[in-house]
Amino acid sequence: MSPSAGGGSDPDDFDPHDLEPGDFRDEVYSFEFWFQAVDGYLAERPYGHRVGISEPALDPVRREALITTLCNYCVGETAALEGASGMVEFAPNRHAKIFLATQVADEARHLEVFLRRLIDLGVEDPEAEIASRANPSLLRFKERLLEFVAGRDWDAAVFAQNVVLETMENTAFRAHETTADPITAEILDGVIKDERRHLGFGENDLGARLMRDPGVRTRLTEIRAELDPLVLGTFEAAMGDLGAEADRRTALGRDYLTAIERLGLA
Amino acid sequence: MTDDTITDAADESPRRRFELEETGFNEVPKKWRKFYRYWEGPDDELGPNEIVCPVCKVVIRSRRELRPGDRLYCMPCMSRLVVVMGPDGRLDTEVVY
Repeated sequence: MSPSAGGGSDPDDFDPHDLEPGDFRDEVYSFEFWFQAVDGYLAERPYGHRVGISEPALDPVRREALITTLCNYCVGETAALEGASGMVEFAPNRHAKIFLATQVADEARHLEVFLRRLIDLGVEDPEAEIASRANPSLLRFKERLLEFVAGRDWDAAVFAQNVVLETMENTAFRAHETTADPITAEILDGVIKDERRHLGFGENDLGARLMRDPGVRTRLTEIRAELDPLVLGTFEAAMGDLGAEADRRTALGRDYLTAIERLGLA
Repeated sequence: MTDDTITDAADESPRRRFELEETGFNEVPKKWRKFYRYWEGPDDELGPNEIVCPVCKVVIRSRRELRPGDRLYCMPCMSRLVVVMGPDGRLDTEVVY
């Protein structure tokens, strides 16, 4: 990066920050944007990681912890897959519908790569393993999310899925990435990049909704009080199992609370 | 923060402009990649044309020196932002919902 005088005459010299808000929305809430974005970091990475990385030798304790964690990631991704797909139908506008369709594709991919990782780790029946290792609190969270979706409750569903779940997953995955084996770390890297879009959508959609109708805030604050312990406890436990550094575990709560504060839901 | 709070930057003095190059950021279509880079944490020194997205923690870059009132877009997390002067006298951002 270097400063210069003048500039701006080249046709390619277009600054995205000069876009009008409507043009910005048309650009980012599109499958074309999504295709080109994911191509940047998922090309040449079948099942989320480069071919040729040798499988690390994990000691039995670490392998067990990783399997349990991946099983719970699968629960979270399944919740988001079922939630996002159900929300397409009652999303309030075209941008939200198209965005959620891309999120459905992301969540399905996440589920697939985590399942594949379980198989690579020697788990013969991943579905059975998930059923036996799923954290009850996370299952309860999934149940509540899908109740919001079934009730066509847009505000609650976006809050539960794209703010609470996505923010905590994003922080937990980033912490896990720092201690994970090379294959799992690459898989998490791609998932984290997808999560940026999901949590951004949630905060921006709800932020606009709260500006229009501040009365929604009281209800979302009540929902938050119900959901926080279900998800926060699950990811704190996972990070402890994986040996995440203390400051990373602290970040889990901090990042989440910061997002909540920006929305005025603290 | 709403749309109507966004105004042109008050300081009309000439701004430095910057030639941007790609830094390895790969989460948006290629034509937009040079406008973003990964944040390296609290010790990452930001240029006068750079600011951290409060939502997703990516560094947003502009071709010009930033000033309060400037509009920015974080394409990786699809957020609209406005540059403000923080309480510590440094540039900060607020999300425009």
